[in-house]
Amino acid sequence: MGKKTLEIYSVELSGTKDVEQTDKEDGKERYRGLKNCFHSKKDHHTEKLNKELDLDDHKLSIKELEKKYGTNIITGLSSTQAAELLAQNGPNALTPPKETPEIIKFLKQMVGGFSILLWIGAILCWIAYGIQYSMNKSSSLDDVYLGCVLALVVILTGIFAYYQEAKSTNIMSTFNKMIPQQAFVIRDSEKRTIPAEQLVVGDIVEIKGGDRVPADIRLLSAQGCKVDNSSLTGESEPQARSSEFTHDSLLETKNIAFYSTTCLEGTATGMVINTGDRTIIGQIASLASGVGNEKTPIAIEIEHFVHIVAGVAVSIGILFFIIAVSLKYQVLDAIIFLIGIIVANVPEGLLATVTVTLSLTAKRMAKKNCLVKNLEAVETLGSTSIICSDKTGTLTQNRMTVAHLWFDNQIFIADTSEDHSNQVFDQSSGTWASLSKIITLCNRAEFKPGQESVPIMKRIVVGDASETALLKFSEVILGDVMEIRKRNHKVAEIPFNSTNKFQLSIHKTDDPNDKRFLMVMKGAPERILEKCSTIMVNGQEQPLDKSTAEAFHTAYMELGGLGERVLGFCHLYLPADEFPETYTFDVDAMNFPTSNLCFVGLLSMIDPPRSTVPDAVTKCRSAGIKVIMVTGDHPITAKAIAKSVGIISANSETVEDIAKRLHIAVEQVNKRDAKAAVVTGAELKDMSPEQLDELLTNYSEIVFARTSPQQKLIIVEGCQRQNAVVAVTGDGVNDSPALKKADIGIAMGIAGSDAAKNAADMVLLDDNFASIVTGVEEGRLIFDNLKKTIAYTLTKNIAELCPFLIYIIVGLPLPIGTITILFIDLGTDIIPSIALAYEKAESDIMNRKPRHKKKDRLVNEQLAIYSYLHIGLIQAVGGFVVYFTVYAQEGFKPSILINLRVEWEDSNVNDLEDSYGQQWTWYQRKYLEWTGYTAFFVGIMVQQIADLIIRKTRRNSIFQQGLFRNKVIWVGIASQIIIALILSYGLGSITALNFTMLRPQYWFVAVPYAILIWVYDEVRKLFIRLYPGSWWEKNMYY
Amino acid sequence: MAALQEKKSCSQRMEEFQRYCWNPDTGQMLGRTLSRWVWISLYYVAFYVVMTGIFALCIYTLMCTLDPYTPDYQDQLKSPGVTLRPDVYGEKGLDISYNVSDNRTWVDLVNTLHNFLAGYSPTSQEDNVNCTSEKYYFQEVFGAPNHTKFSCKFMADMLQNCSGLTDPNFGFAEGKPCFIIKMNRIVNFLPSNSTAPRADCTFLDQHKDDRPLQVEYYPPNGTFSLHYFPYYGKKAQPHYSNPLVAAKLLNVPRNTEVLIVCKILADYVTFDNPHDPYEGKVEFKLTIQQ
Repeated sequence: MGKKTLEIYSVELSGTKDVEQTDKEDGKERYRGLKNCFHSKKDHHTEKLNKELDLDDHKLSIKELEKKYGTNIITGLSSTQAAELLAQNGPNALTPPKETPEIIKFLKQMVGGFSILLWIGAILCWIAYGIQYSMNKSSSLDDVYLGCVLALVVILTGIFAYYQEAKSTNIMSTFNKMIPQQAFVIRDSEKRTIPAEQLVVGDIVEIKGGDRVPADIRLLSAQGCKVDNSSLTGESEPQARSSEFTHDSLLETKNIAFYSTTCLEGTATGMVINTGDRTIIGQIASLASGVGNEKTPIAIEIEHFVHIVAGVAVSIGILFFIIAVSLKYQVLDAIIFLIGIIVANVPEGLLATVTVTLSLTAKRMAKKNCLVKNLEAVETLGSTSIICSDKTGTLTQNRMTVAHLWFDNQIFIADTSEDHSNQVFDQSSGTWASLSKIITLCNRAEFKPGQESVPIMKRIVVGDASETALLKFSEVILGDVMEIRKRNHKVAEIPFNSTNKFQLSIHKTDDPNDKRFLMVMKGAPERILEKCSTIMVNGQEQPLDKSTAEAFHTAYMELGGLGERVLGFCHLYLPADEFPETYTFDVDAMNFPTSNLCFVGLLSMIDPPRSTVPDAVTKCRSAGIKVIMVTGDHPITAKAIAKSVGIISANSETVEDIAKRLHIAVEQVNKRDAKAAVVTGAELKDMSPEQLDELLTNYSEIVFARTSPQQKLIIVEGCQRQNAVVAVTGDGVNDSPALKKADIGIAMGIAGSDAAKNAADMVLLDDNFASIVTGVEEGRLIFDNLKKTIAYTLTKNIAELCPFLIYIIVGLPLPIGTITILFIDLGTDIIPSIALAYEKAESDIMNRKPRHKKKDRLVNEQLAIYSYLHIGLIQAVGGFVVYFTVYAQEGFKPSILINLRVEWEDSNVNDLEDSYGQQWTWYQRKYLEWTGYTAFFVGIMVQQIADLIIRKTRRNSIFQQGLFRNKVIWVGIASQIIIALILSYGLGSITALNFTMLRPQYWFVAVPYAILIWVYDEVRKLFIRLYPGSWWEKNMYY
Repeated sequence: MAALQEKKSCSQRMEEFQRYCWNPDTGQMLGRTLSRWVWISLYYVAFYVVMTGIFALCIYTLMCTLDPYTPDYQDQLKSPGVTLRPDVYGEKGLDISYNVSDNRTWVDLVNTLHNFLAGYSPTSQEDNVNCTSEKYYFQEVFGAPNHTKFSCKFMADMLQNCSGLTDPNFGFAEGKPCFIIKMNRIVNFLPSNSTAPRADCTFLDQHKDDRPLQVEYYPPNGTFSLHYFPYYGKKAQPHYSNPLVAAKLLNVPRNTEVLIVCKILADYVTFDNPHDPYEGKVEFKLTIQQ
């Protein structure tokens, strides 16, 4: 809307009409590439379609059509007919593409990720039992139970993941419902708007530019109608539509408009000939279902992580299987070891945690007006390195606002903030009184009634953008404008037109003593000045001499240079003797003077930037994200807005600026001196891809002005050639290729079209650029926090794995059981790892470069090594100390434990001697073994508390981050302790769980190791902070 | 969303891997130069040495806190376990079966008993003292040589007919086999207040059988004399031997499997732990064929 009125009022600085045309052709070129991808498919479909379609509706005359469908093109269908047809044919909607059956989705969850490893574990358990059973009929059922538990774990986590996925799909489907499509239809001889779903064959519908065609339609009449058939044919150039039958093929003829295509311009009336799945697109959709989705960066990262962990698990498992066999263990035992190793290595709860974490962030972002369509896109936004942003509505408030005034030879600044609250310019001058009167009276815009309680700036106005701006401006300053207008009764009016370039109205004044008429006029400043012979200064009329005319021009140029739309205002009191009260004004005959008026002042308007945007742009800049403005607006306006929001920073200049400052020709300027560039669509069109690359790399601040939406795609591709992760905002249908092409497409929730929203990965509900930056921050935060969660979860794997390895090699009684491990992975550790998702950003999150999608992995070597070989190892040692303490205090000193395994586990040895000469039965030992499990479990749990705390930060000290800022962490710690207490003291009597009531002091044995972990990590972080870029940081920073 | 991952061909991957193994441009092996490898190895060596040191220190401290004579806790040893000799285990617990007329079936059982009782020969018991009192033999001080405490002698011949001295076949040959019942040692454990604990063997499913199991116990009454208690631990009583009771089963029916349980009857010995079949009692299956 801003653009249309701009052409009316503003001074045309350069002719750009022709640019548009050539741009379009260029866009066509660009589409070729895209089209080729679809080509083979398209041919295939067309062929099939042609076979299946024997419709001849396009050949029929209107009369025949009416007969065929039992309708009337004037009155339309009757409601009852429509209802009948609706019941008969079903709603006019595509049956959702044949989705993967729920059961398949569910099964996928059951075998994806780590599940397959756990299944192997479970099956090995059962095999082990089978072997045992075949050798000894009364063998214990322990392995069967373990197998069942493992299977249960897989099934439960699978159900959870499935539930999460279903939930996020639900978010999407509710989103789809939020924007129901409407159709304009004639029924019962009435025009009415109904949901497009209720259309039936024979309905007479009207479409206009911007609409999506609601069904397959045979056009009956059309005015300049053009449609975009790209969704159907891949052909992107607009195609004219008319009511004539031009081609035998249904697909080629001009009098058919297809469902889901977009009407770009013009209007048309047509008859619905096919609805829902019977439409052409419906048939294609049912043919072409299941186009694979690309993997998101985070999905790739998680896959990478699963590979790493599974690799470690399988290789250690096999290695120790071989070791066990060569140590003369029975194959059966070796299989059981293998199971233990697999279970210890797989972080069973992690994938569920990741899903929860992502959906928590998605929810948080939704609250901040970023609706994420795909959970994983949350993170993609975080790795964004270039944002190509629209101007209107995204960076700006999308409404004209009075920015400057010029009267009494002075420029005044008006408040352009969102609520206009603070108008500080001098309002005492008599000139202002006159000017305000003109602003109020020479204005056709009106508030919609019934909005008295709404703040002025939010009221809905009937009128164009400039008039709205003026109306609101005067309402804020003067109060009830409608009342003022009533008091100054309007007797005649000439509305604005592009030949006059002015608007005029004549009023009775509200001064009862003054019988004169007041004529007020506004318009293009130079036109207004031409009509004036005097100028008002300080409330006094003065002749308009050269110097005042000069002052006018200076002010006009200055305001114009700010990219603002300038209007001139003048008035004239018509002499009472010539124009008595009864005088009849005739606007066609112009029986009143329109020259020798009195010039009062200038007023300039701009669509001002949103107040949050400059801040957001600064944030982007410090976050290493390049913000590129892409707009269809005039370069001067674009540049002015870019400057005011900081896309072009205050001290950087374009080549043109330097030339102007140094008074040299543009060609003479050293291009390296300029940091900023304003490129118009026309220039862009002439650029080769190499030149564009050069432009994108050499200038840090770029504004593309007067670009067509198609050129957006070229810009996106250019950015992606620089290996950047590109976020693109867009609202129009023709933005959808760019949105699709971008790594993350962001559609506008308010201004955006359905097509854009469908193509996008994210929808900005408030159209505000600042929301993108919040999204980036959240995306980066989630990446960091996922790293932390994974590091936290991986650490204890070593502490769980070491007992098995030591058990196999040294022959100690088993320090920790498989079931106990599962209780850590799925019990005590779950809530803490989710709690890390709530961790606040380390202070530098928006001060670093965006992550490199290939180099900065989620789970990198440093993370794995530091977790496994440093902290994990300390944890294992701590766990063993607790284990040895328990055994030693009960009578088994470490020395006697070595190689005790065989006797220890032999249920026929019931007088096994300990270090004190005491003799133990098998069950007494077993109970001690479970106490050992519990002790090791508690040892790991205590150290995991320290692990949780250190994972809060990766670089900063915990004390910089604040120990208590993230309350959820403490909930996590409390949950850990409570779950452990319940397991030990509450369930200690259930033997199947292998927990026992542990003496209270054993809970504290691992505490020194917990402190050691904390201290070690603080030292690590300290060195990282002290010596950035050093050997230490390279090896220890994850 | 655009694709982020290009597919690599196998040869490209191999090439990359080779380059990872040895990069001639930077002199890196497996991602690090030689000197970097040395540095990182040194760091890990140091780290693990320190960790081992800390671990050793912890274990050392733990050892220092332990009492050398008595364990800190005896949570599982509230009541002693009981074992049986000869000990032949079947699928579920002790299962002894032999044929009277075929001495090959019981010679192993007899040998087990002989071997077991070798520890109770006069030579192996010579370091122990003779005890006659029927009271607990409390020793506050380390009166025995080498800072130890005295242990009472338990000689094989105290088992009389079941000692293997008078009947080297332990009654197996005539179908009245001897079984030796041993109570597990527990440091400082006192089985009862004043009366000596005694073994009592019966058929497990008594009600079906009219005749109760007839048993001859050695020492008489099947008692474990109180002077063998308390046990002061391996360090204080290095030569301590568990007192034994032999039960000679006189009327075991032939050619049927019988279930026999031998319980220890004493104030502080419990035998009703459902999980532990060897606590305070020992059960075994016996089949004597003829």
